Amino acid sequence: MSTPVTELDRHLLALFGGLDTGTDFDARLMACLQAESQADTAQRAIRARQEERERYRKALFGLQSWRRSMLRLLTLDTLGITLLLVAAVLTAWPHLNHNELNIPLQYGLYMETLIGLLLAAVPVVGMWSEQTRRPVRLL
Amino acid sequence: MELVQSERRDEAIALLLPAFRRRVFGLAYSFLRNREAAEDVTQDVFIKVWRALPRFDGRASLSTWIYTIARNASFSALRARRPHSSLSDPEVMDAVESADSASSADATLERAALLGLVDQLPTKQRQVIMLFYMEEQSHEEVATMLSMPVGTVKTLLHRARARLSAAVNI
Repeated sequence: MSTPVTELDRHLLALFGGLDTGTDFDARLMACLQAESQADTAQRAIRARQEERERYRKALFGLQSWRRSMLRLLTLDTLGITLLLVAAVLTAWPHLNHNELNIPLQYGLYMETLIGLLLAAVPVVGMWSEQTRRPVRLL
Repeated sequence: MELVQSERRDEAIALLLPAFRRRVFGLAYSFLRNREAAEDVTQDVFIKVWRALPRFDGRASLSTWIYTIARNASFSALRARRPHSSLSDPEVMDAVESADSASSADATLERAALLGLVDQLPTKQRQVIMLFYMEEQSHEEVATMLSMPVGTVKTLLHRARARLSAAVNI
């Protein structure tokens, strides 16, 4: 519609043509948006902190559960390996050529004892460190 | 669109506001028939647009998207404020009078009478008449605003004009 064609058109245009918001509408709206923007920034910061805390908590939980499972595995496996090693050494010892193994022959018993002690100490140390570890404070 | 995609929504809204303020206000006013309520809805619509701009994917045109938000906000406001007012409310009459303070008393009465007649039109016809004459809108624009086919807008406009012509005899 380029020009009013009838009197009615003119009247209707006069009636609704100037319909608009109040003069301070834009300023009020921009003030509202500014307030929204500030609230939005604050909310985003809070959300980021919460997400970071959650990530840390999950990572910590993963680490703890990994440590516990490793400790369980270590205890059983170490015992098994120690028994197997002792059995293997005891079985193989009489069949070895003792002339070629002069040095091991001299220190063999000590070495065997040391390895056995080390292997036996691993789970004990692990359990001790787990029990005496400081509880990690969450953020 | 570039501003929207680059998340510069403050700049985007500063551009959208002058382009759509009157149209959104007119649309809300055609539903609510109350100036203050229409302004509140218009403000609400632009705040919603500002919030949702980062999620705007451009599948629909920007105007269609904004009009949809405006229609939904108007429906919600309409439901929340029953019983509704009419175009003949004192505040509307004041607005009509203040629109042209130099007009004669007869002209003011004429306008008031015409406003009353528009108010008595069926809702869709009233909306089409108001939006069409608000800013010399095209049929297509009114159709987009009200989400109806252009042919329907033309029919409603024709019927509304015929009714008004018969009533005012001009």
